[in-house]
Amino acid sequence: MSGSSFGFFGTDPWWMVILKAVAIFGMLVVLTLFTIWWERRVVSRMQNRIGPNRVGPAGLLQSLMDGFKLAFKEEIIPKSAHVAVYWIAPVISATAAFLAFAVIPFGPTVSIFGVETPLQLTDFPVSVLYVLAIASVGVYGLVLAGWSSGSTYPLLGGLRSTAQVISYEIAMGLSFVAVFLFAGSMSTSEIIAKQQPIWFAVILLPSFLIYVTSMVGETNRAPFDLPEAEGELVGGFHTEYSSLKFAMFFLAEYINMVTVSALAATLFLGGWLAPWPISLWDSANVGWWPILWWLLKVQLFIFMFIWLRATLPRLRYDQFMKFGWKILIPASLAWIFIVATARVFRDDFAFSNQQLLIAGAVVIAVLLIGSWLLQIRSDRKQAAIESEREQELLVPFDAMAGGHPVPPMPGQVLAYTPRRVLAAQSVAAQVIPPALDSTPTEETPNA
Amino acid sequence: MSIDGELVVFIICGGLSVIGALGMVLSRKAVHSALFIAMVMINLAILYIANSAPFLGMVQIIVYTGAVMMLFLFVLMVVGVDSSDSLIETIRGQRLFGILFGVALAILLIGGIGSSLGDKPDIGLKAANDEFGGNVEGIANLIFSDYLFAFQATAALLITAGLGAVILTHREAWKPKASQKELSVARFMVGAGHPGNKPNPGVYARHNAVNTPAILPDGSLALDSVPEPVRSRDDSLIVDHRAVSTVVELVESEDQN
Amino acid sequence: MNVYTPILVLGILAFGFAVFSIVIASFTGPKRYNRAKYAAYECGIEPTPQPMGGGRFPVKFYLTAMMFIIFDIELVFLYPWAVSADALGAFGLIAIFLFLINLCLPYAFEWRRGGLEWD
Repeated sequence: MSGSSFGFFGTDPWWMVILKAVAIFGMLVVLTLFTIWWERRVVSRMQNRIGPNRVGPAGLLQSLMDGFKLAFKEEIIPKSAHVAVYWIAPVISATAAFLAFAVIPFGPTVSIFGVETPLQLTDFPVSVLYVLAIASVGVYGLVLAGWSSGSTYPLLGGLRSTAQVISYEIAMGLSFVAVFLFAGSMSTSEIIAKQQPIWFAVILLPSFLIYVTSMVGETNRAPFDLPEAEGELVGGFHTEYSSLKFAMFFLAEYINMVTVSALAATLFLGGWLAPWPISLWDSANVGWWPILWWLLKVQLFIFMFIWLRATLPRLRYDQFMKFGWKILIPASLAWIFIVATARVFRDDFAFSNQQLLIAGAVVIAVLLIGSWLLQIRSDRKQAAIESEREQELLVPFDAMAGGHPVPPMPGQVLAYTPRRVLAAQSVAAQVIPPALDSTPTEETPNA
Repeated sequence: MSIDGELVVFIICGGLSVIGALGMVLSRKAVHSALFIAMVMINLAILYIANSAPFLGMVQIIVYTGAVMMLFLFVLMVVGVDSSDSLIETIRGQRLFGILFGVALAILLIGGIGSSLGDKPDIGLKAANDEFGGNVEGIANLIFSDYLFAFQATAALLITAGLGAVILTHREAWKPKASQKELSVARFMVGAGHPGNKPNPGVYARHNAVNTPAILPDGSLALDSVPEPVRSRDDSLIVDHRAVSTVVELVESEDQN
Repeated sequence: MNVYTPILVLGILAFGFAVFSIVIASFTGPKRYNRAKYAAYECGIEPTPQPMGGGRFPVKFYLTAMMFIIFDIELVFLYPWAVSADALGAFGLIAIFLFLINLCLPYAFEWRRGGLEWD
């Protein structure tokens, strides 16, 4: 295997790799426990409640105890389940969730027991692609859990969450393109290095907004938590799961939340780089301090997740898919094109940033006026169609058009013939047969 | 990394791929077969990565495991295929052509690999990757120079696939879909039935299953409270007659007071 | 040490943890057999037969997966272009733009035909 070292990466001794892997594993488990507690506390405050405050200081150990409790709960595997796949699904979910974190950077190069090493498990030229690849493997957990339960609600929930995750994965992937354009790399450590003077969230604000929206859809969190819409699907894909198998899905959901938050911080908020007023301090970006900035940024996103959940009601499925496919995807495609064109004009044709901004303003003005004119035109067209339809409705329906009996089109009404009146009267005199009473075409004689 | 490391990766992933391929052919359930293919694809991706083609490896997982196999799984779950279906030959001479094409592919592969084993200069993976400054950059340079036509042809192929899917699955809309406003107006029209929430199942009942109708204060059953799909399964309505009589007694004693 | 080996280490750790938890739970939890408990969950009524095998699902799911493949392949070509966009310059931009327009054809077609509407 060549290409074994990538900067500092791939040069760690074996004990350092194990140390980092165990540290990341432990941190993810602790972060999950903390996030569950934090979510319950924050949502409680937002709903004028107190939330868990009994187990441990301020209830901090609540989620740990919940985990232990789950271990002592009965495992119920439905008779209709496909056992092997039913077992493997939570394992896939949890493993994929942990694995995605391997390329997230927490800080700069530090010295651990005298060995210089970056605060990141590993990195390679395609590490952001790696996160996407692992996410697409993680989807198997959902879809297999839904299928293998052998039950209707989980199957529906599994299909739904898969359709949702893959729809928002596209928007997510498109939002990365502009970042790669500016960073010229797909490795997480280089992307952070390229954000040294200014974060990508500032210069690529639309990409950032699209990513933040799609990451909520990707993790199946409120207001996009349709896979577990309680009123429709009970628990979604994990309805039939109990005990620690259920806990694995729960763990995977929260780790995925941390992962997408960390990825957002890495790609758009400068990862472990200190935010502005602190970055004036010389040693802000060296040593162990950056872990704190990184953690704060991740917690900012997690707080946003919680805030969204406490604030917004769940979207309807059609609205949700419409938003993903008809707004996020075209918007990100258009934005990529704008950014790429502007860059080519600047680099190849020596336009200045000022000229580009003026050109952009002109284009936006033209687009605005154009869309306004188009709207006026389509409104007129719509009005014409509607008046035409009304005209059509005024023409009575001819049941024998062209010499053959034809059914009425939607909106048309079958003319009320005397024969039917007679038939109805003769039937009403006897017992009404059930077939007739269920026919919906019992018009009143005003047509 | 030494040759040994690559050899170990090859033996493990190659072995797992073969096991996956055999499992795909031999398993009785179509979904299990699909899972085995997914396993083969992940192992192939690891082999690509081991051969210093990380971009290709990741793309293999994203596109094949993540998208193509997901489509397969969707179809298998939606249609519900099992092993008994595959025994019927839907196209005449399918097996013969299958064997012929299989042999042709094998000859092609053996020829291709065999010709590369001869006296060819060994450029080395590192040199190939460093030519344009990295694996991804190298691929970009090749796509946008030598293979530009193939790249654009991919788009044409995908258009065909997309259009085919849309046309095959499309159903002409019979009338415009009712908007939320229209639906709500229809709900509140006179004679349209009950506009508000339906009563919950199991109210006043001794059983909270969804097929237990609620009991109204006059002792009659609120059949509305049982969802339509459940109601239509006539065998499944649970009526707790003791609860009905209790409610009737209660209401009557209230009336007397 | 290879750059990909740490992933293997973390993977073994995560896989081991997941399998260990699931196995341990089958020993620590109680087991009390009950026919109703082992039936598929359907809010208390007798479960309907599985929709698998003859059941019907909206074909939209299939269409969504198909569009996902198309956009996924588009992404896969966009990434290498984005990484070396500066080196490829205006030629690369035009090439990728043509590609995008091509791929947007089925997308526009599906949009127009109402394939993106769910109900």
